[in-house]
Amino acid sequence: MKVVGIYSIKGGVGKTATAVNLAYLAAAAGQRTLVWDLDPQGAASYYFRIKPKVKGGGRGLLRGKRGADDAIKGTDFEGLDLLPADFSYRNMDILLEGAKKKPVDQLKRLLKPFVKEYDLVLFDCPPSISLMSENIFRAADALLVPLIPSTLSARTLAQLQDFLKTEDGFGALKVLPFFSMVDAARPLHTETMARLSAEYPEMLPAAIPLAPEVERMGLHRMPLPAYAPSNAAAGAYRALWDEVATAL
Amino acid sequence: MTLTAMDFLIPAAVQGGADTSAAIRAHLRCEPEPAVALRRCFFDSFEWSLYRAGAVLEEVHLDQRRELRWHDLGQHDPVTAQQLTTTPPGLIDDLPPGVVRERVAPLLGVRRLLPMVAVSGRRQTLRVLNDDDKTVARLCLEQLRVETDGGRRPLPLPMRLRITGVRGYTQETDAVVRRLKTILALEPAEAPLYLEALAAAGRRPGSYSSKLDYRLDPLQPAAVATCTILLGLLETLEANIDGARRNLDPEFLHDLRVATRRTRSALSQIKGVLPQAVVDDFKLRFAWLQQVTGPVRDLDVYLLDFPRLKAGLPPRLRDDLDPLRDWLVAHYHAEQQTLAAALASERFEVLLRDWRMFLQAPERNGAKDAQTPIKALADKRIRRMAKRVLDEGRAITDASPPEDLHELRKSCKKLRYLMEFFQSLYAADDIKGLIKQIKVLLDNLGGFQDLAVQAEHLRETAAAMQREGAAPLGTLLAMGALVSQMLTAQQRARGEFARIFAGFDSTDNAAVRKRLFAAKHSPAAPAEAGA
Repeated sequence: MKVVGIYSIKGGVGKTATAVNLAYLAAAAGQRTLVWDLDPQGAASYYFRIKPKVKGGGRGLLRGKRGADDAIKGTDFEGLDLLPADFSYRNMDILLEGAKKKPVDQLKRLLKPFVKEYDLVLFDCPPSISLMSENIFRAADALLVPLIPSTLSARTLAQLQDFLKTEDGFGALKVLPFFSMVDAARPLHTETMARLSAEYPEMLPAAIPLAPEVERMGLHRMPLPAYAPSNAAAGAYRALWDEVATAL
Repeated sequence: MTLTAMDFLIPAAVQGGADTSAAIRAHLRCEPEPAVALRRCFFDSFEWSLYRAGAVLEEVHLDQRRELRWHDLGQHDPVTAQQLTTTPPGLIDDLPPGVVRERVAPLLGVRRLLPMVAVSGRRQTLRVLNDDDKTVARLCLEQLRVETDGGRRPLPLPMRLRITGVRGYTQETDAVVRRLKTILALEPAEAPLYLEALAAAGRRPGSYSSKLDYRLDPLQPAAVATCTILLGLLETLEANIDGARRNLDPEFLHDLRVATRRTRSALSQIKGVLPQAVVDDFKLRFAWLQQVTGPVRDLDVYLLDFPRLKAGLPPRLRDDLDPLRDWLVAHYHAEQQTLAAALASERFEVLLRDWRMFLQAPERNGAKDAQTPIKALADKRIRRMAKRVLDEGRAITDASPPEDLHELRKSCKKLRYLMEFFQSLYAADDIKGLIKQIKVLLDNLGGFQDLAVQAEHLRETAAAMQREGAAPLGTLLAMGALVSQMLTAQQRARGEFARIFAGFDSTDNAAVRKRLFAAKHSPAAPAEAGA
């Protein structure tokens, strides 16, 4: 089982769309996939038409005997399940803090029973750097980091890398940045992409365009490649999935 | 992620693809997906290794997709692993790495996955939706036919409906099942599709095994029982011809050779039952078969063992061994062609035909023990062979030459085959225990003998490679290192012989042999002389 966090300190960079679309493509490629919607806003759950509700909330998940098993829901797509969001996740740091043992390893612990059941787990992460993020870093094999081609985005990537360097135990964690919401008509975007690609050789080549069809995912309430498989952005997500699968 | 799935048969009165789908949609809120053509092919090894483990591998062709699915053949036939593929299943290395391959590998070994039965037809999937338009159950209607060969018409199967639950929506799934049972008068499918298709095609799963499994009547005349044994071996031999000729996997040839060896052993060891002239004639003819099948088997053994041999060398020498594998592979093709020609020859065809004719209408008179009850004859033959093994084994000392161990090994093999032929005549636990014991002894003697033969063969191969200019110095040195390892291992086996033989020659075993094989009317017979 491989675990990938779709992560950014910054909000509004296309994390949820990435998690939902890559999960769909992974499942279509035969990988038994679980999306864990960790963002209390519950956008990934919404896209899959699943109520953002977990019985007992975050506390039930962390303290309950059954762990995540009862909370997982099948999506409309074979081989693709979702662990829904819950509004109580907004207080996740407090709940994690209260864990009796190893507050930084709680997500890892909750995933343990599913090692044989899923080939791939994708975390749709809330934008922050917190105890929850640290749990994500410790549970994940890789972080997939969407970057809008701007100076501010690049700063958050640098912040993340600094954090991972200064803290112990993240040596094996792969950081895979890629460009998201790219507007090829804007010189600022193309120039920034050229500069950052040179600066960060680990940058994945696939870039997701800023496309109206991606925004319509909220209307269709399904992954983009499911309703617009020939759309250019769907193609970009396909390229991204191929690169992520290779990197894993 | 394993989901509850239930298979139902649609009663003939309700059947009709579009009609059934429409009938469902009239009662349930459903989203139909486009109907698709599909082909489902079920794979297993020739000896049904997956079936024996309660599973089957399916390859589904759906549109352009090719998917491998691992089914448990229990209730409701769940798919517990699946992955995409681009090539048809074959040997284990032909499967893409992943969950399915992990399941198959330990059961398949070196065998090839063969198509056991295939069905094709159309599938219509309906997704049952809740008020949020969320899928809460999947309904798959399949109208399939069993594919047949030889231009015969495909055999239609009853229409199936598979209801698959969606995780987290159990109540909704249960409601769908209840509703559909009422609407369509569904009947639960009694067998998984695979077994239903096999039955329709007239194939019996698990029908082949290379193991000896005769049910003999102790009182039946020896000639009848002997012909039963030999006919069983002939059937095993014949079952493996096609696979050996096409070289589907190395086990076909191996099983063919084992059946041949057992046939020869039965001819020699079940004495005084079949007419001597017949025995002499067929012994010679089967010796030819054993001889023509030898070279490919030797190469198979080498090539199968190659990774282990290579790994046993110091890391620096390992790559130097590759020219040996290349040489073996290069000679394999020619040897396989010679073998295939022999197995397609008139000589072979006539041998099998004559043998079957004799076994099915044997001259049962003319040999002195033809009418002796088989149990009495079996007792005598096993008793004598056991005595020979014990005499030969006890005579071996640390100073004995290798030939003595080789002779003992031959006697042990004969004893093992006799006990296996006749095992149904004895208490199962006792005879199995004795067979197990002799196998342990045979493993030790085999290790000793085979390593010597392999070392000698390797030396000859090195000379042949050198003559052909195919052996760089590094390769010769690596082969030399292998020979040295083999001789060391041989010495180790020799060193363990005394201990292992002592285990075989125990008082407990003597008591079991006496109980099983002692002559009925000579209770005073001394233990080993009579055992």
